[in-house]
Amino acid sequence: MANFILRKAEPKDVSDILRLIKELAKFEEMEEQVVLTEKELLEDGFGDHPFYHCVVAEVPKDKQSIEGYTVVGFAMYYFTYDPWTGKLLYLEDFYVMKEFRGYGIGSEILKMLSETAVKARCSGMHFIVAEWNTSSIEFYKRRGASDLSHEEGWRLYEIDKRNLLKMTSK
Amino acid sequence: MDFTIRAATLEDCKDISRMILELAEYEKASDQVKITQRDLEQDGFSKNPFFHGIIAEVPEHHKSREGHAKVGYSLYFYTYSSWKGRAVYMEDLYVMPEFRGKGIGKALMSKVSQLGLAAGCTQLNFTVLDWNKSSLDFYLKQGCWDVTSDLGYHCMRCEGDALEHLAQGDL
Repeated sequence: MANFILRKAEPKDVSDILRLIKELAKFEEMEEQVVLTEKELLEDGFGDHPFYHCVVAEVPKDKQSIEGYTVVGFAMYYFTYDPWTGKLLYLEDFYVMKEFRGYGIGSEILKMLSETAVKARCSGMHFIVAEWNTSSIEFYKRRGASDLSHEEGWRLYEIDKRNLLKMTSK
Repeated sequence: MDFTIRAATLEDCKDISRMILELAEYEKASDQVKITQRDLEQDGFSKNPFFHGIIAEVPEHHKSREGHAKVGYSLYFYTYSSWKGRAVYMEDLYVMPEFRGKGIGKALMSKVSQLGLAAGCTQLNFTVLDWNKSSLDFYLKQGCWDVTSDLGYHCMRCEGDALEHLAQGDL
């Protein structure tokens, strides 16, 4: 089975996008952290100033998944900025359903994203990976990715809403 | 000390560029700065900006030794968490050494937080170098946590030849 297409996500895809986000989160043992809703995905991705862009991988009806899904993979990304080198493409989520792996869907998605990055004159593509996810790390390293946390000592920090509010009132 | 925090304008790009270089020097990487004042003007102040800026300014009589009144800045942009939705990413936060310890850094970060919350964001993210102890302490005091340490997430990058090859589908 090598029959699939890649296309830009449309408003009708938000239900599948959320499903795939949750599947990926489950794989990362973080499923309970997903609080995003279809409504927010619709507003934030398909309004006047989208916060993200999405590509989806779709198979024909006769090749649908066991539960009957035809949207079997996706990538969510947005543009960021490095004041030293300029525009960047940031890959937020990248996932292919287990039963559709090994057919080159992931590689094609990554190729499409890189083309997008190069066309938009980005100096690079950034993303984060969990350090225990060795198969994904190998997948990325084979394509020339370097581990900035390891090589340059960058650590990703977060301040959550509660502490953001505290800061604004100080 | 008196200071004001305000949104950056096109005219601020000269000082932002100067301070970007100062911050890069502090991070021991000034040879890596390829972005010019002109790039900043184009990328930050056109119809679809790739970033937003905040400036910290002091009155004339408090200017720096070299005569600068713009003494700190923050560069940020909006991102998206597939788990929680809208987020704000603080790319740079810098205060000139002679103006530190006066609450300017905190005020800049507070402004970014306010803007983020107003835009519907539920998190503020940024990266810090692991040797930057004074910055790490400052951030931990604001209530933030180390995602790399606690969840094991590593920042990855694909650039230059690797990005080109990836685009062409070479393996």
